Amino acid sequence: MTKAKNPTPRKVKDNDFNLIRAINAGQVDKFHDLVKRYEQKLYNFSLRNCRDPRDAEDIVQDTFLNVFRYLKDFRYETKFKNWLYKVAASICIKQWRQSRFTPEKELPLEDFYPGDGTGSPVRVPEWASMPLDQLLNEELSETLNQAIMSLPEKYRLVILLRDMEGFSTTETAQILNLSSANVKVRLHRARLFLRDKLKGYYENGH
Amino acid sequence: MATEYQDHTHCLEMFQKLSEYIDGELDHVTCAEIEQHAENCVACFSCLQTLKRTVAICKNARQKPVPRELSQRLKEIIQNLPETTSP
Repeated sequence: MTKAKNPTPRKVKDNDFNLIRAINAGQVDKFHDLVKRYEQKLYNFSLRNCRDPRDAEDIVQDTFLNVFRYLKDFRYETKFKNWLYKVAASICIKQWRQSRFTPEKELPLEDFYPGDGTGSPVRVPEWASMPLDQLLNEELSETLNQAIMSLPEKYRLVILLRDMEGFSTTETAQILNLSSANVKVRLHRARLFLRDKLKGYYENGH
Repeated sequence: MATEYQDHTHCLEMFQKLSEYIDGELDHVTCAEIEQHAENCVACFSCLQTLKRTVAICKNARQKPVPRELSQRLKEIIQNLPETTSP
């Protein structure tokens, strides 16, 4: 009876499907394996979405509880990870709407046009050509996280899903219920925003 | 390499597509146009390089470990989960 409710995946291949079937067949303890697979990624995703680490913990907890609650209804039509992040993203959005922290504003593309408007020479800055492992350190990580936090919500989620979590444009659009074109527009502006913050960090020390 | 502002309109057209270029989401013709333009425009070349680097930094950003208390709490919650998940 239970088996009849679990359709065989036809198009989507996902390493999590066997685990989900086992959980839905009654091996509830295996849900812990699912949690272990994603808790760190999900925690960091949540942490970059809110200011308070305790809020991030709540997002992770609520996400897994919601996922467990509706796991029987999972249709194997999308990767589990995509569904997991859809749940997490909706919890983040709900939390933002209840908070007063982030002003919802637009990032006009004109604000990021190349050149400084004075006609002064533009050079490729050193940080753009240095080996990446020389750049990645705790301080940069903190600068990046702060920059992400200062992004308006609608841009933040897109860049987190695309560039930090590795979802494709199409997947991100599905997770956030946006068009692919909209994801691309938001992503470009979010990247330019972060680029300016990193530029400030390397060129002015903040 | 030519001057920085040889064709500002062209710069703006290219500028709008840089992320799609980085992500490999553009057709070959548009990619070739961007590459050719970037070869001749320092401002756009610099913009492209810094944007590429920003993306790389994001993709390689450090992950913080999960607080032990959270892992423990999740473990306890799972242990107390009901047998069935939906009606």
